[in-house]
Parts: sequence; C-alpha cells; structure tokens
Amino acid sequence: MRPYFAKMSDFGKPLRENRIARSQQSRARLEAVEAEIAALRKARENVGIPAEKINERGAMTIWQRLDYLVEPGTWQPLHSLYNPEENEEGTTNVVDGLGKIAGRWAVIIGFDNKVLAGAWIPGQPENILRVTNLAKRLNIPLVWLVNCSGVKLPEQEQFYAGRRSSGTPFYRHAELEQAGIPVLAGIYGTNPAGGGYQGITPTILIAHKDANIAVGGAGIVSGMSPRGGFDAEGLEQLIAVTRDLKDRPPGRAETHYTETGFFTHVCDEEKGVLDGIKTYMRAIPAYDPMFFRVAEPAEPALPGGDLYHLLPFNQKETYVLEDILARLVDASEHMEFRPDYGPEIYTGLVKIDGMLVGVIGNRQGLLPPGYPEYANYPGIGGKLYRQGLIKMSEFVTHCGRDRLPVIWLQDTSGIDVGDAAEKAELLGLGSSLVYSIQQVDVPMMLVVLRKGSAAAHYIMGGPNANRQNAFTLGTAATEIYVMHGETAAVATYARRAVKDKDSGKPLAPIAEKMNEMARKYHETSRPAYCARHGFVDEIVDLKALRGYLKAFAGSVYQNPKSICPRHQMLLPRIIKG
Amino acid sequence: MAVDVNAPMSGRISEILCKVGDQVKFEDELMILEALKMENPIFAPADGKISEIKVAPGAMVESNQLLLVIE
Repeated sequence: MRPYFAKMSDFGKPLRENRIARSQQSRARLEAVEAEIAALRKARENVGIPAEKINERGAMTIWQRLDYLVEPGTWQPLHSLYNPEENEEGTTNVVDGLGKIAGRWAVIIGFDNKVLAGAWIPGQPENILRVTNLAKRLNIPLVWLVNCSGVKLPEQEQFYAGRRSSGTPFYRHAELEQAGIPVLAGIYGTNPAGGGYQGITPTILIAHKDANIAVGGAGIVSGMSPRGGFDAEGLEQLIAVTRDLKDRPPGRAETHYTETGFFTHVCDEEKGVLDGIKTYMRAIPAYDPMFFRVAEPAEPALPGGDLYHLLPFNQKETYVLEDILARLVDASEHMEFRPDYGPEIYTGLVKIDGMLVGVIGNRQGLLPPGYPEYANYPGIGGKLYRQGLIKMSEFVTHCGRDRLPVIWLQDTSGIDVGDAAEKAELLGLGSSLVYSIQQVDVPMMLVVLRKGSAAAHYIMGGPNANRQNAFTLGTAATEIYVMHGETAAVATYARRAVKDKDSGKPLAPIAEKMNEMARKYHETSRPAYCARHGFVDEIVDLKALRGYLKAFAGSVYQNPKSICPRHQMLLPRIIKG
Repeated sequence: MAVDVNAPMSGRISEILCKVGDQVKFEDELMILEALKMENPIFAPADGKISEIKVAPGAMVESNQLLLVIE
C-alpha cells in the first residue's frame, strides 16, 4: 500500500500577503484570548499552599511530580480550567492530561496536594469520570498520583452520594482492569476513607514511606461522641486519642508493605515512587509506533503559525478548511473522500506522525450554485445539508470498518431547516449519523474550531458521543450554544413583542430583555466558560493543536483493541476509485 | 485579456480590498460580499491589474452582477 500512503496529494494553499495584512487584528484577538486562558491556567496552578512550603515539608507538588514523571514535550493537559460547580478553590482539585512515560502514552491524573491536602471537592467526580473514560476509549494505562485527604467535609452533600459521585471512579477502575487496562498508582501523604479507596483500587501500588491508605483516618477512628454530644471531658479524651493517632495513623506504609502486602514497593524518596511508575510503564505492552505507521512521520509542509491568519476570529468571516487542516497534518498531504458530493463537508484521510487517521470537518463560505439540490435557496458552509449528512455517515462507517480513528473539526451553525429540508429527510439523516457513530468502535476526538451549535454540535462527533469521543478541544475562537443569543432572543420574545405592540405597551422593556438574553448567551459561550463547565476538555492554542493530534494518534495506535491490515482497508481503494 | 469578476450570489458588498491600478495575484481577496449572514471573500480568478471596479462599498448586488475587471 506504499503507493497510497507514502505520498498523498498535496493540499492547502500558502498564505497570501494580503491575507496576512487583512488578518492582523484577527490574529491579535486570537492571541489575546489565548493569553487570557494561559493566565487562568497559571492562576489555577498557583492555588493553595505555595510550592515552597510544600517543598519545605519535604514533599513535591503535583506539578513537580508530573514534571519529573512525564517525558519532556509530551504533556497535553486536559481539564485545566474545569470547575463546573464554581468551587471557591477554583479547581476540581485533580490535574490530568495525556503524556508519555517511559516511551508509552498514558492518561495521567493526580490530586493537587497544595489544596486541602488533595481533598475530594465538588465537580471532582465528573472530572475523574472523564479521565477514566478517556483511558478506556484510548485503551492506554491510567496513572494516578494519589494524595487525597478524603472528603471536604463541609460540602460532602455535593459530591459524596449519587449515581456519578466520588465512589463511581472505584468501579471505573475495576472496569478498566477487567478490560485489560492497568491502573498504576503512586501514593503519597495521608489517604483516609475515600482517599484509601483511591489508593487501593488501582492495579499496582507504589508508596512513599510517609504515605498511608486506610478505611478510616485518624480523624474518625475515635468515632462519634458516645454521649450524643460534646463536652470538655469528652474533648480531653478525644485530644489524647488524636495525639496518639497523629503519630501512628492507621494504614501506614509499614502496615501495607509488611502486614497486608498491598504496596508493591515503598520508596524513601518522593522521586523513587515516580521511578517505580516508570519501571512498571516500561513493563506494559505497547506497539512500537513503526508497527502501524503507513509512512515516515513528517511535519506539515505549511507552517502552523499561519493558523492565526487563517482562522478568523470574527465568526462571520469565512475561511478554507483545507488551509487549516494542511497546517495540522503530516507533510500537508491528504486523500479526500467523495470531493464531488456534499460540498459543505470535508472528509478524507491524513497522516498524523505517520499514522493513518480519518478527518471530518465543516467547510465554510459559499457553496456551488444549485446546492442544496432539494431547495431553491443557496447553501452556505457551516450548515449541514442532505449530501453532507449522508457523506459523514458513509465515511464514519468506512473508518469503523478500516479501524481508523476519526478527528472531527467542527464549526457549524446547524442543520438546514424549513419545509424543503424536512422533505429532504434531514432529521432522519442527522439521527442516522448518530447511529453510525455509535455502531462503529473507533476512538474519535473533536476540535470545535469556532462554532458548536444546535443539533449539529451533537451529531458531528460531539462530546455527547461519549462512547467514541475521547476528548473535545476548543480554540480561542470557540463558542458553544444551542443557537446564537440574538436568535434565541427573537425566538423567546417575538410573539410577546407582537402582543405588547397590539395592546399599546412600550417596546423598550422587551428590547432590553432581548439584549440581556443575547448578552448572557455571549458570556456563557466564551472559551473560558466552555472550559470551566466542561463543554470542551481543554482550550488549546492554535499552535499547540498538532501536539494533541499526535498524542491522540499515538495513544490510539499504542495498543489497539482491533486492527485492520492496511492492505485490506477499503477507504483508500474507494477514494482511488 | 480582460477577466470579469461577477457576484457569486446576491448580497451586499461590505468591503473593497483593492483599487483600480492594483496588481493582484490569483486568489488574492478582492472584495467581501455579505450574504447569508456571512462575510464571503471574492477571490481573484487570475493574476493581473484591476482595470475597473463597478461597485461601491455598501452596494447591494445581484447574482452574476459584474463587480470588477482584471486585465
């Protein structure tokens, strides 16, 4: 199959001088949002006790542990700004992402030991579930840096109980292990109760000498007050017990190494724990990337920095999707699937780090005259019409058959509406795409380049496709909402305006409400909001996007559950004709 | 040889990015046509010199209406 993949068709056009001149303001606005996100990320890293104080106590921070553990240049953070319950701490108190350890990709997550000694807090269970789902979808190891003081007691009602609560990740660990996916844990600090289960449910447990894991920690071993209340005499007893337990907390390293043997290793140095994880990562089966490469890896022929001039910040400005994609994929080469059908959608095969990947994305701008073929009005990119919907379903199905992962590039205002669109079966074809995505079994990732809107955001591999969607990224130009705020305001208030007009009431109050609604839509759809509330798993700088694509492809092909020999793939043959 | 550049669909010319006498290259952006709520660039179909511009900023144009000429 070398003739198919070694040299595909070149695509993407060089940046033109007048485009550079015209897009300076757009570039500045993209970079301003990226700077805002970077500042928020930095602030989140600095919450809690200063790193120096943690170091004075002889411990490393979660960030220092990650820095030592993960191979330089491979860390792709996720959920950096995720804080769906708007915690006062500004975090869900776990840090996670994709990174390479000992030459292998892993999903890595750790408690932030600078904040409440790594306590469970609101929003954290959902964060952890996203991470366990990610390891499952990519079929790669999950590495935990456990350092969990247990529940933040004053807020326990917000996350302790329920179907997707703090106990759910323990079952997810079992689910991963039963699927053959190892969970490695490096264990630090005091880990009572929930923290104890965080420590015990992984596959391999490597502990620091001062670590403990326990069913119950020192704080609760003395139990409830036997008198049904508290008084000075009872407190004297409590103080004595507490002093003793502070020196000898339950579940110490000596207990779980010598007595129970739960800990595989106990290390005197903090870094020894991380070295132990590296040792076990080396022992985990992983294909050498060359096994699945269809060509030598190559950087894009067109520079990634051009993206700042090609993706307009102004949502009304159109662009050429292929020019964006060509800056993200190996050698700026591709094989396009059905270029003469469904012009509002791009579908094609590309290489990422030498590995074959399917890509689906929205084209922008004017569509060829006569399209959509079922209506007497012109079509515009970003919308979905009959042929595009059919083409996406076909392509996803072929990718499933050929065991090819899929990257979605979304910038959509929705599916075409109206009587002609209904007669053209768009509702049924949208749901057919959902069915196609759900029936294949290949990992997918989504980049919401700009707009994610209406049902189109769901059906184009949205985060809701959570059986296949490994993760979703946004950019500085991302905005996600059911519809534009002004459209929503019209939909909400148009009939009321007619009524008020007919009854002689002033229209200014309704206009103000409409403006207020549009403002709210704007505020709740910006990149930082999307990241904080989990509409996306991370907002990524345009220049950093390719790193995530490489991490995705590398992870998918590290240990795939199912493979298709390249010489038995159908998609390349269908494209060739 | 003169090359006509026509409006691909009806809409409003929101911006003109060139002037008569400018040398332009194939696929340079010449004008912005606002249509279907989007700002759509009109690209140069060939290298050449702008010899005539037939519309002004803000003009409403019909599909296929002549916008400018390149020589």
